Amino acid sequence: MLSALLLIPFFGALGLLCWPGELATERIRRAALALLGLQLLWSLRVLLAFDPGQAGLQLQESFAWVDSIGLDYRLGVDGLAMPLVLVNAALTLVSGICTRDLSQRPRLYFALLLTISGAVNGAFLSENLLLFFLFYELELIPLWLLISIWGGANRGYAATKFLIFTAVSGVLILGAFLGLSLFTGQADFSINPVTTAQLGMGTQLALLGALLIGFAIKIPLVPFHTWLPDAHTEASTPVSVLLAGVLLKLGTYGLLRFCLGMFPEAWALLAPWLAGWAAVSVLYGSLAAIAQRDMKRMVAYSSVGHMGYILLAAAAATPVSMLGAVFQMVSHGLISALLFLLVGVVYRKTRTRDLEVLRGLLNPERGLPFTGTLMILGVMASAGMPGMAGFISEFLVFRGSLAAFPVATLLCMVGSGLTAVYFLLLVNRAFFGRLAVTPPSGDAVADSRLEVRLPAVALRETLPALALASGVVGLGVLPWGLGKLSEQATTAMAQLPALVAAIQGGGLLS
Amino acid sequence: MPDTLPLSIQLSWLIPLYGFSGMLLSLPWAAGWIKRNGPRPAAYLNLLVTLLAVLHGSLVLRAVLALGPQHLDIAWFSAADLDLRIGFDLSLTNLAALELVTGLSLVGQVFALGYLDKEWSLARFYALVGFFEGAMAGVVLSSNLFMSYFLLEMLTLSTYLLVGFWYAQPLVVTAARDAFLTKRVGDVLLLMGVVTLSAWAGSLEFNDLYAWSANETLPALGATLLGLALIAGPMGKCAQFPMHLWLDEAMEGPNPASILRNSVVVTCGAVVLLKVMPLLLISPVAIDVLLAVGTISALGGALVAISQVDLKRACSYSTTSYLGLVFVAIALQQPFIALLLLFSHALAKAVLFMSVGSVIATTNCQDLTELGGLGSRMPATTTGFLVGAAGLTGLLPLGCFWSFGLMVEGLGSRAPFFAAVVLVTNGLTALNFTRVYRQVFMGSPHPKTRRTPEVNWLMALPMVTVAVMVLVTPLVMARIDRVPGIGAFSSVTALALVGSGLAGLLVGSLVPLDTFWSRSVRRPLRVLQDLLAFDFYTDRIYRATIVAFVAGLARITNVFDQLVVNGMVNRIAAVSMGSAESLKLGVSGRLQTYVFTVVAAIVLLVGSLSWLGG
Repeated sequence: MLSALLLIPFFGALGLLCWPGELATERIRRAALALLGLQLLWSLRVLLAFDPGQAGLQLQESFAWVDSIGLDYRLGVDGLAMPLVLVNAALTLVSGICTRDLSQRPRLYFALLLTISGAVNGAFLSENLLLFFLFYELELIPLWLLISIWGGANRGYAATKFLIFTAVSGVLILGAFLGLSLFTGQADFSINPVTTAQLGMGTQLALLGALLIGFAIKIPLVPFHTWLPDAHTEASTPVSVLLAGVLLKLGTYGLLRFCLGMFPEAWALLAPWLAGWAAVSVLYGSLAAIAQRDMKRMVAYSSVGHMGYILLAAAAATPVSMLGAVFQMVSHGLISALLFLLVGVVYRKTRTRDLEVLRGLLNPERGLPFTGTLMILGVMASAGMPGMAGFISEFLVFRGSLAAFPVATLLCMVGSGLTAVYFLLLVNRAFFGRLAVTPPSGDAVADSRLEVRLPAVALRETLPALALASGVVGLGVLPWGLGKLSEQATTAMAQLPALVAAIQGGGLLS
Repeated sequence: MPDTLPLSIQLSWLIPLYGFSGMLLSLPWAAGWIKRNGPRPAAYLNLLVTLLAVLHGSLVLRAVLALGPQHLDIAWFSAADLDLRIGFDLSLTNLAALELVTGLSLVGQVFALGYLDKEWSLARFYALVGFFEGAMAGVVLSSNLFMSYFLLEMLTLSTYLLVGFWYAQPLVVTAARDAFLTKRVGDVLLLMGVVTLSAWAGSLEFNDLYAWSANETLPALGATLLGLALIAGPMGKCAQFPMHLWLDEAMEGPNPASILRNSVVVTCGAVVLLKVMPLLLISPVAIDVLLAVGTISALGGALVAISQVDLKRACSYSTTSYLGLVFVAIALQQPFIALLLLFSHALAKAVLFMSVGSVIATTNCQDLTELGGLGSRMPATTTGFLVGAAGLTGLLPLGCFWSFGLMVEGLGSRAPFFAAVVLVTNGLTALNFTRVYRQVFMGSPHPKTRRTPEVNWLMALPMVTVAVMVLVTPLVMARIDRVPGIGAFSSVTALALVGSGLAGLLVGSLVPLDTFWSRSVRRPLRVLQDLLAFDFYTDRIYRATIVAFVAGLARITNVFDQLVVNGMVNRIAAVSMGSAESLKLGVSGRLQTYVFTVVAAIVLLVGSLSWLGG
């Protein structure tokens, strides 16, 4: 059942590439959308088959692939992976829908989109370390191509930066996985905290450190974040949606599944430092966002800040904070995707994203009132306004982490306040005031003329954003669905350190 | 909840939803999906659902009067040891506050229909007011801190959107920004308190929290910080010093929203403070801060109000001032006096702001120096202003007279200083309203007030209705407070109160208006006038301190990010590219060199390996 989540996008991509004869762009797009829709439906089918009452991996599938090096094809899904698979399916569909006016090579574009989606599904579902790594790397090249072919003016620099950073991340993760097998002497590469517990603390810390930095690059955490703003600025809107909404979650997923899940003891040792790192990351990202002029860069830096909450939650590793981490992953996926979509609309209509230039876009007849309304909703959700997804996620994270790390948690809450500052500045500058899309000329008479008339935004252009916005509000008002889906798994993860300690101390294995 | 309870109580969770549904009902017109008719249907629908809320509220009130207080509880979200619930406390005080909120919202919406007659985005206004009303109705009924926080934040959002209603005007842009950010600071601090309480005490139900705080001994620092966090939210909401800045700027928004903001929104903030009041006992520092903030706001607000030349601002600063008195009452653990004061203030302030709105609607002017002589031509508006001002000051036996009397009597022996604060505030407020009245309604007409017909019935009717309500306030108060009765203060207190009111009235009617309100040539007086007129320069202090600090930090972070972090990455890239480039030039192309290099490398490798192994 789970394999279909890989087969649909991969074979779809292959089919798109190999289909004989000329194909019109619109037909390719329709075919890709149909495939992505099918993937979403299949993900929902998996959701129906999924039993949230169980903590462990479910719907497992396995067959030996390359047995000699321990690479097994083993898939499974639990409460941690399930919501992310859904987010992936939904956001890839959204980014497919909002792809318009492709300049070149539509076939390749949609094939890459499908490949990424499949690879991400694979990474979320793998039960084998090497298999995870394969999918983790597989998503890298298509994204590099997406940025460097369909990107903005400075795309070469941004794409190469992204490639090198993520490749280093991959090397570190592979190194840690290989080191693990080397030191434990086992070549089975399954996810198992008990095997690692046999290692000495020094070795554990070294391996965990490599993994941490590897995933910190992907998440990204300060100071490994500099690829993200560049990549976002140069990437086209659909690619940004995918990057922020889905691909960053690979990093946080890895953090929870592999760092915390496999090295609970060493993790507990490092936890205070990690909480401090989280606070630094949150504050740094938020402060840097305040100073940005480019709307897209601002949203990108806000991602850096908001991903810090997940590190904080993981460091605290209480049942509530772990659930908060899952909530934050989902809600950040939806909210940042929404924000990038809307910034994309603004850019397409005004040809600029500069906050020093844009003014008064809420103007009802000549501006972008509906986009502006959704933007206000999006930034408020991101700032943690109750009734939307951001609030419940942050509340869970803070509530779960406060007892363990009071100072770091309070600092992160300050970061949440700063989010309100920069996003409010964004809305206030670009959407309030008198409509203008060119810098003030200094001539008051010329500036006061209202000659701007932005092209109207068709309903089909706002439909994806509307869907995401209703998801954001829905999750904020009725969070119990996601809570039920993930609670068993996250509670089990939060109890890992205690469990491993009990096994070690009580000698259940001996 | 047993099924035997009346349906009105069982369905009382609907009450906040009426307001929210009003927002949803307005959406088709607000978003422009329905263009065949004007936006009026949205307004009518909102009026209808608000009327439903009022009626439902009064049904619940009757049921509760018969059956005693009820509690309604619905699970919202629970995970591990966290249990978040939606809870309604249907007590008499909460329901009275609910009736106040929904009732004033209703009359305010009728008033808005007249005031915003020609406004093209009327539907958007009603959508926001519906949202506003729903959040307020929830806040006053809430039985747990989580829900109160949740809805307070929604109030912050809707205040932002209502203040920013005319978003194309430059002053509105900054006003909306400041309103949101100031309140948000308070909210984030309150969130810290909420999260801490949730982690420490487990439950967030007010009753559980009271029991917990009575039994628990907390570390001193923790208790102090917690207490401060809990008062920060209401401080922002009630526009208390130093977070009062937004209320002044919020006067850029449409007047019907100002009516609600100055009467019931601040009441909601104070109601939340009332609900956390028993928790504050854990922290003496928080109580002291509350007293200080209340006193400064009461006196400072009253003084700043006197020196304003803007009609709306002159009235809005008195809101800060009155809420300061409420804060003092709460800090001194006098919840009942606080409630009476809130009740009488809300009604009187509402009619005052309706009258102000009428003046602005007729003259299109809110500058006091350009107004005059309206009294004879706008009788309803004049009556409204007089009744509102009388209801707010302790001179005639209307609402605030009795509340002040009880407060002065209660504090007189225990805390004479705060009793004096009440009297001084009363005097200053009387002075302020007298001079505003003289300026606006008396004297000769100015150019802008030559043609001033009375406002249309949509504005006059709600104004007169609330004016009548203000006049009967003492009767209502007497019914609420049977023991010891609203007249339970000595004649000395009453005399002192009337004396302070009369003094204010006298000074206010004697000050020379023309010279007094232009800047004085005498330097000391001018400095004082400017200090008060510019609100103690609060906005400049903010800009020089906290805004400059955050902006500077942001700029430093950005520069660090670009130069150091990103610079490092680029430098590493440049070094590796550079070394590759220079190595490329070192290639000779001769086979011998390559063979030599390979041999040398093998020798080195083997040598080092044998050295390591040996």
